[in-house]
Amino acid sequence: MPQASELKAFFSARIAENTHSLYTLALRLTANAADAEDPVAESVAKAWSVIGSLQDRQRFRPWIFRILHNRFISDYRKKSVRPAETHYTELDKGEDSEQVAQLLTQQPDEFLLWWANPEREFTNNLLAEDLIAAIDSLPEVFRTTVILINIEGLSYDETAEVLNVSPGTVRSRMNRGRTLLQKALWQHAKDADLITASR
Amino acid sequence: MANESDKPKAREIDCLEAFDHLYAYLNNEITDQADLANIEHHLSHCKSCYSRAEMEQKLNQRMKHAGETPIPASLQDRLNKLIDDL
Repeated sequence: MPQASELKAFFSARIAENTHSLYTLALRLTANAADAEDPVAESVAKAWSVIGSLQDRQRFRPWIFRILHNRFISDYRKKSVRPAETHYTELDKGEDSEQVAQLLTQQPDEFLLWWANPEREFTNNLLAEDLIAAIDSLPEVFRTTVILINIEGLSYDETAEVLNVSPGTVRSRMNRGRTLLQKALWQHAKDADLITASR
Repeated sequence: MANESDKPKAREIDCLEAFDHLYAYLNNEITDQADLANIEHHLSHCKSCYSRAEMEQKLNQRMKHAGETPIPASLQDRLNKLIDDL
């Protein structure tokens, strides 16, 4: 049984290490700086109150991300902090068995042509705010998966733990989320004349 | 030490199958050695998928930086107080 002072020191250090990550996730989930602070502070308080449930200290990151994510799901979405564009049941329907071909054939031909022949300078021309806007445009289940893996560097197993789904579902959400992200970026680039008009 | 003959022989896969494994590959999440051999083989000879993989990798790097948002002082103060009061 760890000493209270040792546990507090451990918790304080992990919170200091992860504050930026927690705020990043909260900010992208709420898309509003003012709304992102409360979930982080409340999740940290909640985490301390249930610190006994952390069985493996190496899993602190997925454990506290899960607390924050649950907080967002249970409280903030109900309060419509962000427009409820996501319908979990619809988006998750058949997710594990989703066929890649089906995913791609749902995209416009113009996008597919570009998708198969990406322009090298495309990513260089994108601004950070373009990327953030594209990430924010993703339905919540895909947005969270992309943030946890591609921004926060969590593994598929850790992400599955945060979202309480199977690693296979995480893999599927990653494929779909990144395809939707590409589509959003392509649309933006097209509108802003960042890609060749003839494509 | 594993030698070349221990590696699974790559199977020819098409672009759709390669796409199915692409993000797992870029995220270092492919554990099946046969799947790994297949996508690496495909990327070695498919210019289109190689370009796509290269672009997705660049996008990964850009996303990491795009997520760098400073923590508001008000939040940091709240957390400091919360930790002090534990």
